[in-house]
Amino acid sequence: MNEQVSRRRFLGLVGAAGGATAVYQASRAMGLLPDTGKPALLQLARAPKSGNKVVILGAGLTGLTIAYELERAGYDCTIVEASHRVGGRILTLRHGDKIDEMGYDSVCRFDDEPHLYFNCGAARIAGHHHRVLHYCRELGVPLEIMANDNAEAYTHDPDAFGGRPVRIREFRTDARGFLSELLYKAVDRNEFDKPLSEQDRLNMLEFARAYGELNEEARYKGSKRAGFGQGTDGFASLGLLKDPMDLSELLNSSFWRHSMHFNEDENWAAPLMTPTGGMDKIPQAFAREIQSPITLNAQVQAIRLRDSGVEVAYNHRGKRHQIRADYCFNNIPAHFVAGIDNNFPETYAKTIAGMYRNNFGKIGLQMKSRFWERENIYGGITFTRQRINQIWYPSHGIHRQKGVVLGCYAFGRDQTAFFERMTPQERIRFAGAAGDKIHNGYSEQIDTGVSVMWGRMKHMMGCGSTFRSPEEWEKLFPIVQNPQGRHYMVGDQVSYHPTWQEGAFSSAEFALQHLDQRVRAAARA
Amino acid sequence: MIRNTVATLALTLLLTLHSQACLADDPVIPDDKFVYCTVCHGMQLRGIEQLQAPRLSGMDAWYVRKQLDAFSKNWRGAHAKDYAGMEMRPMAAILSAPEIAEAADFVSKTRSPMPEATVAGDAVRGEKLYTSCGVCHGTRAEGNEGLGAPALVGGSDWYLARQIRNFRDGIRGASPADMYGVQMRAAASVLPDDDAVDDIVAYLNTLQPE
Repeated sequence: MNEQVSRRRFLGLVGAAGGATAVYQASRAMGLLPDTGKPALLQLARAPKSGNKVVILGAGLTGLTIAYELERAGYDCTIVEASHRVGGRILTLRHGDKIDEMGYDSVCRFDDEPHLYFNCGAARIAGHHHRVLHYCRELGVPLEIMANDNAEAYTHDPDAFGGRPVRIREFRTDARGFLSELLYKAVDRNEFDKPLSEQDRLNMLEFARAYGELNEEARYKGSKRAGFGQGTDGFASLGLLKDPMDLSELLNSSFWRHSMHFNEDENWAAPLMTPTGGMDKIPQAFAREIQSPITLNAQVQAIRLRDSGVEVAYNHRGKRHQIRADYCFNNIPAHFVAGIDNNFPETYAKTIAGMYRNNFGKIGLQMKSRFWERENIYGGITFTRQRINQIWYPSHGIHRQKGVVLGCYAFGRDQTAFFERMTPQERIRFAGAAGDKIHNGYSEQIDTGVSVMWGRMKHMMGCGSTFRSPEEWEKLFPIVQNPQGRHYMVGDQVSYHPTWQEGAFSSAEFALQHLDQRVRAAARA
Repeated sequence: MIRNTVATLALTLLLTLHSQACLADDPVIPDDKFVYCTVCHGMQLRGIEQLQAPRLSGMDAWYVRKQLDAFSKNWRGAHAKDYAGMEMRPMAAILSAPEIAEAADFVSKTRSPMPEATVAGDAVRGEKLYTSCGVCHGTRAEGNEGLGAPALVGGSDWYLARQIRNFRDGIRGASPADMYGVQMRAAASVLPDDDAVDDIVAYLNTLQPE
């Protein structure tokens, strides 16, 4: 009997023999599962017996990853970190945490409760961030879904709708409705440049009707997608449609220019994830796994490239220390490198020193009550044209007494400069006053707040050094990405997507693969 | 044989000491509370242009004290157009009078290589223009404590140029209480043109610190 085994049956047999992992591997081999891009850095050759000493400058995500991978391959690693903690710009603030802002040292006054925390740096993980997800899986960091897009949240523009916040649901539905009606009419009158076949024309008309939920006469007269109006809810009372908003008022709002499409971007599209309990669970998991020594409060003073290694000097507790290593992985923000005594070749030094110092900043507010949940908002983002840009509602801790909202997200140097000039207390007052324009009594709900403007944080003074023009990326990025001798610049700054954890991991992956190739080549020679 | 070994050992020790000296010969290691200064101004306060933080290595302690005082009194770093000054101001504001003296002492002991010239100008014209500057700052730009005029050699040239323009434009020296700042603002306001700033700085770049 020559029974042909179905794929499902085959996988069943594999499962019986080898368990779930075997099924997974077999499925991948059969092309039934997409390759999730398991990082190649996991296949590092064993370290050579001599010449395996590595010094890592900076205990940010890239530095931790490099230490984690290299010590598993048998390298002798040492990590030197300037600040008082590991994690770099993966910073979750909780009760009692130090906020290390230059000139404004302070302590986070959130209540001592596990759900009251604020991710000041990285906060979101998308499904295609396969390197981040690989390490979360491998290190056992629990993740949860985090709402980014919420139709019940608001769009707010002081110059539109009389300054009144409008539910994103209503804005989006009406915008699509108006657009669909126009589309329907254009197709109906055959106003396309290219003639449509009759079938295409009919399909297109149906597309327009479905997209905007047009009525029988192909007119947009409101849709239940905008939420019911006239005091009805569609459950205990028959739902009645809201009248569409005024088209010119809608066009007058800035929402459609950018924010309306924000959550379409691949890095922000639903669903997103975040570690349960705070983003710093990721660096904490690395720090737990790593055996290599990590010296905190150790500021690098000198980096010297030598023929067969790198020498590093650092200060720790008022004393000078030196390390001689075979390889150096440098995670230090690019703008600090010119301030460190070094013997880099001129082009290398100038390219690093010339990288654009970007800035981001967030304000977190502990609220006395979760008033937004009484406005039907559970997670997600309200967008405003005010300087605070956004308000984020926590997806976790639903129906608890208190919650921490993001009260401001400033993007880029111009926006952060406005907040950097203020004292931390002034920033919180400013964020409160802006929130009052959106939620009644918002500022009165503020218990306490934190602000982290990365451009003022000790040992950071910026957020995500980068290049800006296509010419710079083409000419200068390879200079920074490739090592100089045995010195590798690394970090999210050495990726095409700085400020994202996936960028940090991709830099670690590139540098480790590069090291691995030279080590393998040396072994063959 | 033994002699050879001793000689080798001695040589090794010497080489080790020498290679350590390359990395460890800084004259001063900052106290933990002054690591703050090095975050932006760099190791041994050598200056970081990307952060607009000038070289301070070996700067006269009296001038450092005066400027920290000026920052803490909002004479400097309060103007809306002075972003870098704004970044500095909170750092000075947290220092007590004894800490200011301590910080100034630390700054004056730091040493670093002379900075590279980055400003291009007509040094010959700059020398002529500098004549009036030299009345206070000294003919060799060595500074004059009695007149409150700092040395102008050994600083970051891009910083000098920006500060002269800041004085000229009223961004610095705007507070009436800042006597020396007001004087300098008046002096900068008579510069004939914008090139004059770069020309003077280009001339200063030709001078060596004493």
